[in-house]
Amino acid sequence: MTDWITITIDGKEIQAKAGELLTDAAARAGIHIPVFCSHPKLDPLGACRMCLVESEGPRGRALITACTTPVVAGGVYHYQSPRAVDARQGTLELILINHPLDCPICDKGGECPLQNQTLEHGPGKSQFWEEKVHKAKNYPLSDLIVLDQERCILCWRCIRYLQEWEDKPQLGLFHRGGETVIDRFPDTELDAYTSGSIIDLCPVGALTNRLARFSYRPWELEKTDSICTHCGQGCNLRVDVRTHRVRRHVARENMAVNDEWICDKGRFATGFSSHPERLTEPLMRVDGQLQPVSWSEAVKVVAETLKRIARQHGPQAVGAIGSAKVSNEANYLLAKFMRALVGTNNLDFREGSALRAPDGGLPALADAREADLIVLMGCDPAEEAPVLATFLKRAAIRRGARMVIVHPRAIEFTRYPGLHFQPAPGSETALFDALTLATRMARGEPIPDWLPALYGAGNAEEALAAAAGVADADPAAIRTAAEWLLAAQRPFLAYGPDYAWGYGSDALVAALRNWAVAAGHADRLGFLHTQANAQGAADMGMLPDRLPGRRPLSDDEARRHLESLWHTQLSAQPGLGYGAMLAAAEQGELKALYIMAADPAGEKPADAAALEALEFLVVQDLFLTETARRAHVVLPAASYVESAGTFTNTERRVQRAPQAVRPVGKAVADWLILMHIARFYAAGQTAAWDTPSVEAVFAEIARAAPSYAGLSWENLGHLGQSYSRPATDAALTPHEAVAPPPTDAAYPFRLVVGNLLWDDGTVFAATPAMAGLGHKAAWLHPQDAAALGLQEGDRAEIRSSAGRIEVPVHLDASIRPGTVFVPYSLKNAPVGALFDRFGPRTAVAIARV
Amino acid sequence: MSTLKEVLEGTREVAKAMGVTLKTLLTEPPVTVEYPDEPMAVYPRFRGRHELRRYENGLERCIGCCLCEAACPTGAIYVEAAENDPNNPVSPGERYAKVYEVNLLRCIFCGDCEAACPVEAIVLGHYIDLASYNRRDFILTKEELLNPPVPNTVVRPDA
Repeated sequence: MTDWITITIDGKEIQAKAGELLTDAAARAGIHIPVFCSHPKLDPLGACRMCLVESEGPRGRALITACTTPVVAGGVYHYQSPRAVDARQGTLELILINHPLDCPICDKGGECPLQNQTLEHGPGKSQFWEEKVHKAKNYPLSDLIVLDQERCILCWRCIRYLQEWEDKPQLGLFHRGGETVIDRFPDTELDAYTSGSIIDLCPVGALTNRLARFSYRPWELEKTDSICTHCGQGCNLRVDVRTHRVRRHVARENMAVNDEWICDKGRFATGFSSHPERLTEPLMRVDGQLQPVSWSEAVKVVAETLKRIARQHGPQAVGAIGSAKVSNEANYLLAKFMRALVGTNNLDFREGSALRAPDGGLPALADAREADLIVLMGCDPAEEAPVLATFLKRAAIRRGARMVIVHPRAIEFTRYPGLHFQPAPGSETALFDALTLATRMARGEPIPDWLPALYGAGNAEEALAAAAGVADADPAAIRTAAEWLLAAQRPFLAYGPDYAWGYGSDALVAALRNWAVAAGHADRLGFLHTQANAQGAADMGMLPDRLPGRRPLSDDEARRHLESLWHTQLSAQPGLGYGAMLAAAEQGELKALYIMAADPAGEKPADAAALEALEFLVVQDLFLTETARRAHVVLPAASYVESAGTFTNTERRVQRAPQAVRPVGKAVADWLILMHIARFYAAGQTAAWDTPSVEAVFAEIARAAPSYAGLSWENLGHLGQSYSRPATDAALTPHEAVAPPPTDAAYPFRLVVGNLLWDDGTVFAATPAMAGLGHKAAWLHPQDAAALGLQEGDRAEIRSSAGRIEVPVHLDASIRPGTVFVPYSLKNAPVGALFDRFGPRTAVAIARV
Repeated sequence: MSTLKEVLEGTREVAKAMGVTLKTLLTEPPVTVEYPDEPMAVYPRFRGRHELRRYENGLERCIGCCLCEAACPTGAIYVEAAENDPNNPVSPGERYAKVYEVNLLRCIFCGDCEAACPVEAIVLGHYIDLASYNRRDFILTKEELLNPPVPNTVVRPDA
């Protein structure tokens, strides 16, 4: 309930909420008090004095800062009184004394609050004729952000953002009076992952984007409301284009997704769409060489060859790999093409059927801000979803939310009070079993018999001790964590892909779910997807056993529904998954593969042989990847900024990414390529393939996938819409015992994989200025490194029974001794080369090169 | 009778007028110009082909601010700015024009670019021989703008 009070501004009575700031109350009444330091997302400060108004009090009228003053009932304020106007003019005149007025070369010129307010509230001329104070004009705060200290008006927004949202006080004020400057604290890097937000926040042109600097003037940009596709959060941003080139990305407010922030990857890693190595025309293998061909030739060959192979070897000899990086429309049409025309269910994507992710993803991103307990299991939002990480930090510093972290590395969140469990890879299941036991015991609820039996224990106490022993964790800490989750009202519970695929992941996911179920928070357990459209690709039926809307393939009614929509008969025979398709290709059972925006050969060199064994390989991608080099036909696709589409983020929010720029060369949108191939393949029977626009494809998706019913391109709007989360089953699930994969003298180390934000992958490194920032090393504990005689930066060979890679080593005490952390997407050193049958939990050996 | 008188009078008037012509022919210089064989004089404020000016120290005046582009009513100007190398600057300050193009086919020679320029870099010069057989020749590059066939006079020394 809001208490409304009456205040008076300039003799006009207005209604205000009790306790709100005078600036906010005035704005609701249409009086826009000028501000510089005040920002709705930052705490009030009153540093710039631009918002001075007169307030009547018992001792007469006084000038106050409206941005820091809560309104009181019956308060009388004067905004347009001569003294208030004079005070604001004086403030602006003082601010401008040392401002260089180099607006013609300033990136902010044209969208600058200081320019606008000088025009509206300024005195019109200056009384100051003396020489201005000169300061550093091109001062690099980091590799990505440049500070112009002369332009700075000392509003503290950047300082406050880093403190209040990133909890990284890295900037401060130095010196005094007219010499005051913003600078980094000594021996401090500006390395917050959302540091670029301070560029958007700066009310003048003091903080500028190193990469976009001087490449645009704000008035000449074509602005498209879009989203970011670097991670699963789907932050809202705006793509600013000039002369058909993306000039910059700026954040766009969406309270449900990203508040008003985007991370530095989303802001700065924009170069991939205009990279010179982009594929610009279709290529076809002629005499062993990929040669440019026309689109009509390429489409004809793809359609005819797929048709011939499907007829000759049966539809099961054809398969398709989709992608969590491209739009719903592209995945939907690829799945529809394979199911409706080719007649196969051999469909998957890398984060598809192998990933033990719940259908509903994450309950809601915005919940993170309100959390009172944060439980992160095998996921690191600071690296995998940096904007979500700011929400979680906010919960920790503003609401005192404690942390329970289960992660092989001491991730950034371990700096907050709480518990950090660091089980060895393969023994996480035991930890979650122990937590489940402790929770059931704390609630006084019966323990199902299968649970102690897994640890050869007769009762819960013994089982808890045994499971804690396997997980190498303190039983007291386990009991504490269990009590915290029981006591929590609004916990944020999330796990990530690192715990959801590969050896033992069935049991691991069952075990961590059991803990959430035991604590009564099954509906709050969420999954943090790390790829932009992992949720959506699965929703589109890009899975061997699921139809659009995630309905099972065995569901007769669902198949009949699609048959009438697609004018065809559908096979109920489940198809092969990602790994099975590659294995079938190697054995010669799968003859043709259509790969869209995926690079199996680049991620796992051992899979290259499977691709080479194929009779026909079509690759549709942005770059000539390792996979594309082995293709028979390569189709140049348009990047997400060059084509329209919808993406579904990890909280099931379907969001639009409209076309912002024209495609390079002859590249064509993924969905349109598939439309052309399908129409050629259907040879006249094209009634089911009459969707000439992305809006029409989405309209068909809304009919095909029940969860998307009612959504349309128009009603998604600029903020997107979530579909409702499927109900979760709240019962304990029995699972098998998982033994950690064996290590021996030959392979003594345990591999740990994971995502880092600065990953050095294709898309990241395609922005030249970012290429140097990517992580390039494998992490080793200093103890282990000393035993191996390795030092920081030394090149080492990491070897498993499956393969080897060569990388520099980085010594880091945040990982568990006996493990080696190899991030995904290291250049020329794909961690996939190491995976044997234990997948990401493979045992490895390390040696100096 | 009266007819003869009119003829005589007319003849005299014609002779008088032709006398003025003869006198002017012999005493005054011609006012027409043998264009294009002879150069065409223009008024000091005539708005001909554009040129980009330099400071006396050789640095380009243009800072790539794009205000001319914004002021241009026909969209005839295209500027692409870039950051100066501090050791080898093209213009004073941090920013310079990497690309500067004027499309003379679009230009209406209104002079708004000149008026918008904060550093008096772009000016409309006195060169008027703007014919060509090739449309591409009507897009003046930065190099052509910096080296006009008929340079304009320096208006103001270095700022």
